[in-house]
Amino acid sequence: MIYIHAFIVCGLICALGQIILENTKLTPGHLNALLVIIGALLSCFGIYDILLSWSGAGASVPITNYGHLLFTGAYEGFLEDGITGLLNGIMATSSGGVAVTIIMAFIVSVFTKPQH
Amino acid sequence: MKLENYKKIVDKNSKKEDKTKNVIIAFLSGGFMGVVGEAFAQLLETFLYMPTHEAYMYTMIMLVIVSSILTGLGFFDKIVSFFKCGLIVPTTGFAHAMTSAAMDHESEGPIKGIGSNIFKMTGSIILYGLVAAFFLALIKGVIM
Repeated sequence: MIYIHAFIVCGLICALGQIILENTKLTPGHLNALLVIIGALLSCFGIYDILLSWSGAGASVPITNYGHLLFTGAYEGFLEDGITGLLNGIMATSSGGVAVTIIMAFIVSVFTKPQH
Repeated sequence: MKLENYKKIVDKNSKKEDKTKNVIIAFLSGGFMGVVGEAFAQLLETFLYMPTHEAYMYTMIMLVIVSSILTGLGFFDKIVSFFKCGLIVPTTGFAHAMTSAAMDHESEGPIKGIGSNIFKMTGSIILYGLVAAFFLALIKGVIM
């Protein structure tokens, strides 16, 4: 059952992105930045946690999850340790994915040549 | 030739893509990515006994590694032109943007090329995500 939920949620987020791309002059870069902000906003109002428990990977695969991770890290840090916790925690939860992305980008760019 | 006439001719001859069709393709391919991620996370949970949030983190890492390698081999752009937003919106798009920016400037050297251009596309995602999360968490933490 969770597979159907994952299909619906992830599909709807991607369809929303496609609608934005088709009807405006925004580039994929704009779109991703916008979706991260939307993810942080949804997380702020507590909607993203419901989405995650309802659809699992359907909400954790799209880029909106990055905004959610940033927000939850910052907010939990703030509750724990005030401003210090906020500053320490803002990148803590999402650093795994970003670190792997940077390392992979470096390795791939060193070992391959761009095709033209 | 006047500019208006030129625009008319361009409009007439440029191919119009079917918008509804693209949205449906994005929905189907995006949903497929969600199902693949969920299946991988369930596999990790059942066979490696990972806690749920860790399984989702490794799912994200798996998608990043696959899309980076596909970008390096030059397949990713062909797949994106077919699957549309179904691959741009998931984490794969993030990894593709970073890898392709690094690859394009590789010839300019490790510092001025890769180093200063690797965050060219993804910098905006990290910047605005961080700023938004910082202020939202601060406001919510102070009010609540």
